[in-house]
Amino acid sequence: MMRVWQIWQKPGRGVLFLGRILAVFFGASLALFLAIETMPEDPVSLRIKSPDPQRVAEIRGELGLDDHFVVRYLRYTGNFVTGDWGRSLVSGREVRGEIMNYFPATMELGVCAIALGILVGASFVIGGHASGWFWLRRVSSGLGSIGLIIPIYWIGILLVLLFAVKLEWLPVSGRYDFALPPPDGSRSLILSSLLRGDLALLGSTLRHLALPTLTLALYPAALVAGTLETRLDDPRVRLLVRSLRARGLSPWRIWCVHIPRLLSAPVVTLVGTQFGALLGGAVLTETVFSWPGMGRFLVEAVLNRDIFAIQNGLLLIILLSLVVVKSSDYLAKRMHPMLRDKEASR
Amino acid sequence: MRLLFIAILVFGLAGLLWTPYDSFDQSFRDTALAGPTFGHWLGIDGVGRDFFSRLWAGSGNSIFLSLNALCITFIGASLLLLAEQSGPRWIGESIRHLIGLWVAVPVVFIGLLILLILAPSPKALVLAAGLGNIPLAFRQLRIYWLEQRSATYVEASVVLGADFRHLLLQTIWPNLRPNLFSLASLLFALGVLELSGLAFLGLMGDPDFPELGSILRQNQAYLHQAPALVFLPGLAMISILLPAHGARLKKSQ
Repeated sequence: MMRVWQIWQKPGRGVLFLGRILAVFFGASLALFLAIETMPEDPVSLRIKSPDPQRVAEIRGELGLDDHFVVRYLRYTGNFVTGDWGRSLVSGREVRGEIMNYFPATMELGVCAIALGILVGASFVIGGHASGWFWLRRVSSGLGSIGLIIPIYWIGILLVLLFAVKLEWLPVSGRYDFALPPPDGSRSLILSSLLRGDLALLGSTLRHLALPTLTLALYPAALVAGTLETRLDDPRVRLLVRSLRARGLSPWRIWCVHIPRLLSAPVVTLVGTQFGALLGGAVLTETVFSWPGMGRFLVEAVLNRDIFAIQNGLLLIILLSLVVVKSSDYLAKRMHPMLRDKEASR
Repeated sequence: MRLLFIAILVFGLAGLLWTPYDSFDQSFRDTALAGPTFGHWLGIDGVGRDFFSRLWAGSGNSIFLSLNALCITFIGASLLLLAEQSGPRWIGESIRHLIGLWVAVPVVFIGLLILLILAPSPKALVLAAGLGNIPLAFRQLRIYWLEQRSATYVEASVVLGADFRHLLLQTIWPNLRPNLFSLASLLFALGVLELSGLAFLGLMGDPDFPELGSILRQNQAYLHQAPALVFLPGLAMISILLPAHGARLKKSQ
């Protein structure tokens, strides 16, 4: 058995990983801090109608903006970790409360889109290979390059045009009907409405979620389709299928159980490494559907020079994408020992 | 496909030099949102500008800005690769680690970081798209470099007594060219998508600046009355991106 102090003598992979995460945290926060430092405008004088130098200096003093930058950086990282994220200079509301409202909205959209995207992408590719139908193969290989040919947020606008404006089946924007009683806390609306057994709210949530999810799901669907297409083109897959057939398994069992299991590992790695890109796509999708998520919040914060919202909100999102990528790297290396010795390859 | 791609680029860029009407001039206000007529092929937009001119200039700007971003990407990635390959070991290591992190941060957030320092403008967005694509370009260029360095034909050429110039122009360049072209068209397509995405978020500064993304953003308000104003900019973008994709596929096969 390993004693605690022995970990420090010979750092294992877990400790190294934690060290990397810490390095990432300090690197990212420092980069963001320096960017805010070099900001040309003074965020305080922008917020006051008639900038009186004395009053500006007073507010800057209260916010602690005139301290030495080492002090401010340490206070910033400390406050970020303890969750004391200050108040927005624009609205005066607590940044933490704002982010607690917007962040779950983005995550709800993102998680639904990833799930739907993997499902759609994988079923098109597997269906195409299993059936051998020419047109289905064409669709699945076209799906793989859709992200480079068509701006996906534009597809979102077209979906609005079709389903919300012309057919009037689904709502244009927002997260739920404002006629309904506002959900408390508004974390994940699906979960909270399920927990309360509020079917009207659940229905409204799902109807509002449908179009944004469909749009955003195109990013992971394209990625998954592209990757799986090359995987399944491997001639060894055909040999595997033939030998499974020879063992007397039905085609359904082969294509719905054995092949998906074979493909699950690359999909996990792919989704992990492309998580950041998905967040970027989420920002665009949120703009199309006026989705009250982190994307709009951050864009407005940056344009308004709302420093506390930027330095905590943007850091949270950047850290999230970095940590997900690093952990998926780590997981992939744990799952495939062959990757361990290779350096970052792609 | 390659010729078509270049022709589309040239045609789009021509929109920067000349359009039938001025793309900022709101001189057709009384017929705003009118459909296509003989004088205005694609109709008039919401504030009274000839939409065909706007779309043409917008395509030109999208292409021009993406080409600029492409230059930034190539220069940045080559400099990093030079430092990584010729510098001491620790520099190479840290550059590779940096790239590993950099690739994880999406262009939208790089754009937001840059907009903290610069005011929203086309220049800032070009910088964001250019910097955002550096990791991809770096990794691809590094693969090409390692391939070329250890290729047998390069060694053979050295043994046969080729000087540096001959080695570069006669041996390496013909083999590298199709790869570089395909990488460039990929980066160009990504640049168009990223720039128009950032513009669609409203980070272009001037909302009237003709660029396909900002045109989309501006006309989303008229979705009910004039869907064509939203439909056509996307179609224009596809007609730029599709030949780029085709050119790349043909070259990589």
